[in-house]
Amino acid sequence: MKPELVVFWSAVALYGVSTFSYIFGFIAKQEKLFTVGLFSTLVGFIPHVIAIGMRWSATGISPFISIAESLTLGVFMTVLLFLVFQFSAKKVPPLGVLVMPVAFVLLGWGGTLRTDVASTLAPALQSAWIWVHIIGASAGFASVLIAAGLGLLYLLKERNSGGIYDKLPELPAMDILGYRFVAGGFIMYGLMMVSGCFWSNQVKGNYWNWDPVEVWSLISWLIYGIYLHLRITFGWRGRKLAWYALIAVVVMIVSYWGIPFGVETFHQGFRIEHT
Amino acid sequence: MTDHENTLEPEIEQYPIEPRYHPIHKIPRKIYDVLASAKLAMALLVTILVSCIAGVTIWRGVEAGRVIFATLWFNGLLILLVVNVACCFFGRVWGRRVTLVSFGMILFHLSFVAIFCAIVYNSLFFFEGRIRLTEGETLPNADPQSYDEIRQGRFFSFSRLKGDTTLIRMHTGYKVNGDNKRAAYEIAVGEGGEKKRGVIYMTENLTYRGFTYFPDKEGFSLLTIISDKEGKELYGAYVPLQSLKQKDDKYLYVTGTKEGPGSFAFPQEPARPLFGLQLAYRPDPKKERAGEAFLQLWPLDKQNLPQEGKAIAEGKTAIGAKFDAGDYYLSPKEVHYWVGMVVRYAPGKPVVLASLWVGLAGMVITTLGRVMRSRRGAKVS
Ligand code: HEM
Repeated sequence: MKPELVVFWSAVALYGVSTFSYIFGFIAKQEKLFTVGLFSTLVGFIPHVIAIGMRWSATGISPFISIAESLTLGVFMTVLLFLVFQFSAKKVPPLGVLVMPVAFVLLGWGGTLRTDVASTLAPALQSAWIWVHIIGASAGFASVLIAAGLGLLYLLKERNSGGIYDKLPELPAMDILGYRFVAGGFIMYGLMMVSGCFWSNQVKGNYWNWDPVEVWSLISWLIYGIYLHLRITFGWRGRKLAWYALIAVVVMIVSYWGIPFGVETFHQGFRIEHT
Repeated sequence: MTDHENTLEPEIEQYPIEPRYHPIHKIPRKIYDVLASAKLAMALLVTILVSCIAGVTIWRGVEAGRVIFATLWFNGLLILLVVNVACCFFGRVWGRRVTLVSFGMILFHLSFVAIFCAIVYNSLFFFEGRIRLTEGETLPNADPQSYDEIRQGRFFSFSRLKGDTTLIRMHTGYKVNGDNKRAAYEIAVGEGGEKKRGVIYMTENLTYRGFTYFPDKEGFSLLTIISDKEGKELYGAYVPLQSLKQKDDKYLYVTGTKEGPGSFAFPQEPARPLFGLQLAYRPDPKKERAGEAFLQLWPLDKQNLPQEGKAIAEGKTAIGAKFDAGDYYLSPKEVHYWVGMVVRYAPGKPVVLASLWVGLAGMVITTLGRVMRSRRGAKVS
């Protein structure tokens, strides 16, 4: 097996260990397992970063283009944000119970879709906007996934008490925390859309053309825009929004990676083959 | 509004003044209430969301445009949304103390309205043309004949288009800082002495007096010469070729239409046509602008249309060489490129693009404001 693959799959394996620890910690009500989960995430993050670096340095082409690569980046952002949040705030130890299984499955799935490193980068993608775009998209996803994790814990705490549930922050505090992550994700999705518009303007001369990639990004953005409105103008709180955050993140996953679309939707003008 | 979670603002609209309404004023008032209701906003957002989802799942691509995105009702919804933002949001925020939070929200919703106004303005004044040029060719910008296709706003005036456009050369495998841009068009646009010259490619365009040139597509064009048996050149023309994608993903470069290969009368009017000609070109994989041409000659009928049946002559020859066509020689002398460019004038666009950033900044400000407020709240308690 190529070294890059070994490194990549060890990251997946460590996220697997983390997933297992979190879920088991939950079932067995063992807080120690959350710590195990957190640290295996931290350790798994190292090969994850190295795998991205190896792929990148192999060609010098930013490895965030194919579906497998974008999954890798999305999970990278998720784990990064998760780790930063867990080590800085130390508020919600079991948060990994939703975040890590999703990270594990997405990264593993990305592994099965891996293709060889592209030898050239399509001209349409040779733009600085793509950077802003993919950072916005992946950070937005990371943020709303954590919001969904908080939503799940909110719903569980509402129904259960004692043990680990008592150690979780109070319900309103979790509610606000979730809202913060949605607001952050919404901003990031906004960044994704704005940079997407500029990118399209640079390449095609129009900033919006209702092409599928654009519509999908609008969908993500609207979904969280609606969340914010439900909260601010309709006064929704707590349970309803927790459910909303959970369901919405499923839509995000499907819309990002579940539906095959490629750069060909973005540009179809090139008619002459050049070797 | 002290709490950071400004709980449920009930559906009562607050106005600075509440005049006593004459019954006749009730109707506009009612309309305004509907337009300004947060329920309408939510209904619109959800409807647009559902339409978007349908437009990328049930219907896709061009179909989605026809069924949803280009329809009157969908665009009507968007307009209604903007009117709703204007009425509802500003109706509520008006007269409220400006804080970081509300300032951000004002920016955000204002940018929404600004984008809309800019789009309307743009739709009245824009110009979009597709221009096709062969290397060395120059076309006048203000002549509608120069474009294959034109779309323009009601108030656009052709006098805005100045000078002319020349395709100097099409570069393949064009490199910028080591990146392969593949196709790049070297063009010159402008009037007389002050022509603006530049190379445009996928991520680079050229703007002259507000008109921006974008690369769109390119193809081969064969300079085809007919000469008599003594070798005297009688006539020559650039013959643009279609790029037809084959089943094996390879391309066939041939005369005809998008639908398939075809022949045309050659020489072209107003010269006297002699036969129907079908030309195909196979590029040399190693050498730019070299390769072979395949020729087929057909008899013409009375209307100078190529006839079905047996070819007068057919065969192949290298680019630059001569092909013996009975009474004449035919020579695919040189390979040139033609390119298609999109020329755009969009006066509202800078406002749209700037508003996008303003809107995003508004979001960031609101969120920061909320975080700061709740920090302060936590410290006080
Ligand atoms: C139908 C059009 C819209 C109307 C009538 C509307 C109205 C409002 C109102 C009344 C508020 C709350 C102000 C307050 O009471 O404090 C608000 C906040 C907000 N709206 Fe809209 N809005 C509209 C469209 C949008 C859209 C399309 C988005 C983006 C998806 C959006 C995003 C927001 C955000 C992010 C906030 C602030 C949330 C926060 O403070 O965290 N709005 N809007």
